[in-house]
Amino acid sequence: MKKVLLEGLWVAFVGTTVAFLANAFSPRGLTLNRDYFHLASPQPSGNAVTNHAASRPRANSPEELLAASLKAVNLNLLGSNEVLHLFHDPRREQDLVIFVDAREADHYEAGHIPGAFEFHHFHPENSLATTIPACQIAQQIVVYCNGGNCDESKFAALTLRDYLSDVSKTNLFIYGGGMTEWTTNHLPVELGERNSGRLLDPDPAAAPRP
Amino acid sequence: MPAPSPAWNRRVTDAAPVLSRWLLGFLFLSMGLNKALHPEPFINLVRQYDVVSNPYLLNVISAVLPWFEVFCGLLMLAGIAVRGSALMLLLMLAPFTLLVLKRALALAGAQALALCAVKFDCGCGNGEVFVCRKLTENCLLMLLSAWLISRRASRWSIRFALFPESPSLPSDPVPGHFVK
Repeated sequence: MKKVLLEGLWVAFVGTTVAFLANAFSPRGLTLNRDYFHLASPQPSGNAVTNHAASRPRANSPEELLAASLKAVNLNLLGSNEVLHLFHDPRREQDLVIFVDAREADHYEAGHIPGAFEFHHFHPENSLATTIPACQIAQQIVVYCNGGNCDESKFAALTLRDYLSDVSKTNLFIYGGGMTEWTTNHLPVELGERNSGRLLDPDPAAAPRP
Repeated sequence: MPAPSPAWNRRVTDAAPVLSRWLLGFLFLSMGLNKALHPEPFINLVRQYDVVSNPYLLNVISAVLPWFEVFCGLLMLAGIAVRGSALMLLLMLAPFTLLVLKRALALAGAQALALCAVKFDCGCGNGEVFVCRKLTENCLLMLLSAWLISRRASRWSIRFALFPESPSLPSDPVPGHFVK
């Protein structure tokens, strides 16, 4: 048994060393000193979610829970009507209202809200030349992912806030329904890169207007 | 019907540990590579278990664990330090299985489902699976690992044990294999 334990220790030591090296040399390796999920960020005093819930009737719906969790990190949730209103806002033509897709590149290219910028919080450096400058001049920024249980939009928004020191909580929003709700509502979907002009079989008769 | 011959029994006895470690090795190699080559979904899944709140520890676990699985899988396939690798696999499988069970119970309670109706991506590298199937698989893998730990020698291995047994202990007197 002692020999088995010694062998196990050898495997653990050599295996861990090999694993660290493999991650360091892998092009897809994680950066060990990066806080991908803002876990180390200072939290609001007390338990903001609990305090927020305690000051109003018990929040049972998933939307209310999501709104509470976003409010705890000073982010605001938008519903589908508000998002649609912003999508049809004339300011979007001048990129004063922008949409930011927080999903991975292959999901973005498979279909995104027309004109949306791409920003994945794991690789913010890929968006330094495009999305960050656009966010700096935008008056309102709507961040979305797939919706439902997807919280990529929340982390993308928090990462954006790190890069945009002067963005206030009044111009950064999360679209809770995400791409799932957007496509369910038969709204326009753009394929490929941003402003490619390739739309996914739009159905104007089915799309709601604000 | 005549009883199996001693030679046949020996063939089965020799084949079983080889097939077992090849199965374990292949499984951990493939699942580990799947996670290592897609670290972002994996770190997301690890975070959802709420085991660690320190971001750097989360990164280390998510970055190192898949490659460690690949390493142990390769050792298993090659037949090097089999018992030590099996011990490491057992030590990884046991707490992970408990975490999966804990999360499944929480999901079952939240969604008012029977435990076996719960389906989610546990982070093992196979995507979404029904939890009962995953728990059964893990228990079988743990039993297999424990059995390999108890083995003394095996055919088709480059170096079954890193630290050779003392001369007084019996070993399988199989001619022509590489075990030292």
